Amino acid sequence: MSSDLLSIGASGVKAAKIALDVTGQNISNASSDGYIRRTAKSTEVASTGYHGTIRDVSLSGVRISGVIRNADAFRQAEVRRTGSDTARASTEVSSLSNIEAAVENANVYTAITGFESSLQKLKEDPTDTSLRASVLEAGRTMTQTFQIAATQLDAVGTGLRFNATDGVTQVNTLAAELARTNLRLSRAADASSDQTALLDQRDKLLNDLSQYADIGTTFASDGTVAVTIGGGSAPTLVAGGTSYAVAMTTVSGTGTVSDGTISFDVGGAPVALSGGSLAGQQQSLIKLGQVHGNLDTLAADIVTTVNDAQKGGVDLDGTTGGDLFSGDKASNFTLTASSGRLIATAATGIGSRDTTNLDALRTALGTTDPAGRMDGILFDISGTVSGHTVTRDALKTISDAAATALSAQSGVDLDTEAVNLVRYQQAFQASGRVMQVASDLFDTLLNIK
Amino acid sequence: MSIFATSTSAFFDRANLDLNSLRSQAEGLQSQISSGQRLTTSSDDPLAASRLRSLQRSDALAAVDTAAANRATSDLNLADSALNQFANYITRIQELATQASTGTLSDSQRASIGSELTQIRKDLVSMANTRDSSGHALFGGDASGDAYDIDSTTGAARYIGGGSAGELSLGEGQTVTRSLTGPEFLSFKDKAGNTTDLMAVVKTLGDALQAGGTAAQTTANASLDTLRNALDSVTTAQTVVGSRLSWIDLTVERQTAMGTARSSEQADVGGTDTSEAVVKLQELSTVLQASQASFAKLSSLSLFSILR
Repeated sequence: MSSDLLSIGASGVKAAKIALDVTGQNISNASSDGYIRRTAKSTEVASTGYHGTIRDVSLSGVRISGVIRNADAFRQAEVRRTGSDTARASTEVSSLSNIEAAVENANVYTAITGFESSLQKLKEDPTDTSLRASVLEAGRTMTQTFQIAATQLDAVGTGLRFNATDGVTQVNTLAAELARTNLRLSRAADASSDQTALLDQRDKLLNDLSQYADIGTTFASDGTVAVTIGGGSAPTLVAGGTSYAVAMTTVSGTGTVSDGTISFDVGGAPVALSGGSLAGQQQSLIKLGQVHGNLDTLAADIVTTVNDAQKGGVDLDGTTGGDLFSGDKASNFTLTASSGRLIATAATGIGSRDTTNLDALRTALGTTDPAGRMDGILFDISGTVSGHTVTRDALKTISDAAATALSAQSGVDLDTEAVNLVRYQQAFQASGRVMQVASDLFDTLLNIK
Repeated sequence: MSIFATSTSAFFDRANLDLNSLRSQAEGLQSQISSGQRLTTSSDDPLAASRLRSLQRSDALAAVDTAAANRATSDLNLADSALNQFANYITRIQELATQASTGTLSDSQRASIGSELTQIRKDLVSMANTRDSSGHALFGGDASGDAYDIDSTTGAARYIGGGSAGELSLGEGQTVTRSLTGPEFLSFKDKAGNTTDLMAVVKTLGDALQAGGTAAQTTANASLDTLRNALDSVTTAQTVVGSRLSWIDLTVERQTAMGTARSSEQADVGGTDTSEAVVKLQELSTVLQASQASFAKLSSLSLFSILR
């Protein structure tokens, strides 16, 4: 066995060419999402001698043994885990802000204060029909703001469930795509450029998936991945070439309680999500239900308080007071009294200026404290938003750091690639020079006369 | 965050994030300055927002209290001037009674005094039915309509109003009685200690004078003491009204002080501290300019532009 300088040179040219190709690929994908920097791994080709030829020089140049993806599995897992948390927190902050806006912009608090101050004003002259009319209108405004808040909250809930449905569709699409990638990965040759592209695709799909839900991954030696979803018993989402569909169930409300919360399962096995936008939507819907419930209870209590107090007195015409409001929740809270004359301000008498029952109504309202409770509802939701914003910012800093760390390690740095470009160009030229020398040597031998 | 190596896209991403965050902070400050409000939504500062809501509620309720104080003031002023007139009439009745008690007057002269007294009594009844600022009987308590009417058979004036004059709330649990009921100042004790009222006294006197005879002079004499009690009762009522008016003044003063305290707290809790915000904005814009300049410089550094 002997060496052949020409073929050594040729192999060097070929290897440098491939390395240049890889560098070019890196440069052109410098800003591609999910692209991981490649390096061409070159290996010396030399045969070890056996007994008879042990002193021979047998060198055969170089070959590209594989394309290496500079991926760090640990950092990738960190990016997925922290990204999942951030996605959940961001979804929570934006949906909770919507809930806050729905309750706050309806101006329920201002309307309750308006109703209370109109009652206080009525005390100045309880027989004045214009003051009575203003109480009635303030009451109507109050019921309408409750209805607006309820409608807005329902709209936020519908939006959240719509987004969650879309999220589930995305998860199922991504899982199916991941299963197909698994199949192709199991057939791809090791360290081929085909395999590296598939691995990129696998990691990008996993990353996308982690935005919707928290996932657990197990990698096989051939690069295929098995994915579980959620915590606890963690049902399998993808195993080899098979994916299992996630389904969403909306809990329907019972009685006056509007529920609308959602749950997820994979083939009947419950999924307990703690990360990703789906978990954010699930948690926000629970908070939405609670806020909605508080609002409903408050509306029902105002109806009961006012109507009960009405029964204790007589209206302007001397008849026992009837109901002013009707409804048992925010959405059907309405004004039923048709005229201001029907407000029962006096204890007895026709057209009396006595304010005994008006005082009793105001005392009863003071005990029910609708303004204080509404303030409590607003404080509850705005405090939750504010707390979640702090959490979101903290999680975002962590996930940004993880993403930067991964990108610094696996992303393309154009300066490095520029250096590589020069280096492989020089290697190419040098290998060409080797071929030139081989040719010169051959000519030298031929020219011996 | 510590950077150990960098990739080109990470560099651009980070620059993008940093510049965006600086910009959004600057915009937040700008909106605080232009709106004068530190909070755009409750979640910016839940505690302050809750405090602002309760301050706004107090403001709304205090506006009603102020209106109530104004109404009470005008009702009590009306009552005061009506009481003044009552006092004037009683002084006139006393003059007439003193004249009638003189022995030198003839029966016909007494009868003419008696007819003047009958006229005065009509005036007294209509004055007792004076209206307040909202058109109800000022001295009629909480009933609507007149305070006094004339019994069609006996011709005596009767109180037909409610048992008590209504109270108006002045805020913070303070109240004031808006007026007096008729009996509170028109009813008093006569010489013998029996309860009577001004209209009855005047009617008895007028009737007796018109009837003439010796009884006329005796009745006129006897009524002088009773009329003194009547004047006492009216002037006492005037003192009560006066002290109520000064109580309202005190309360209004307190309301104003509370209102000022509330608005200064509103400014403290929810208003923008303009000088602080402007300084912060200046700081941010300096940092933003520096970041932009350094980004432009760094991003133009590429090995490709140097290698030929």
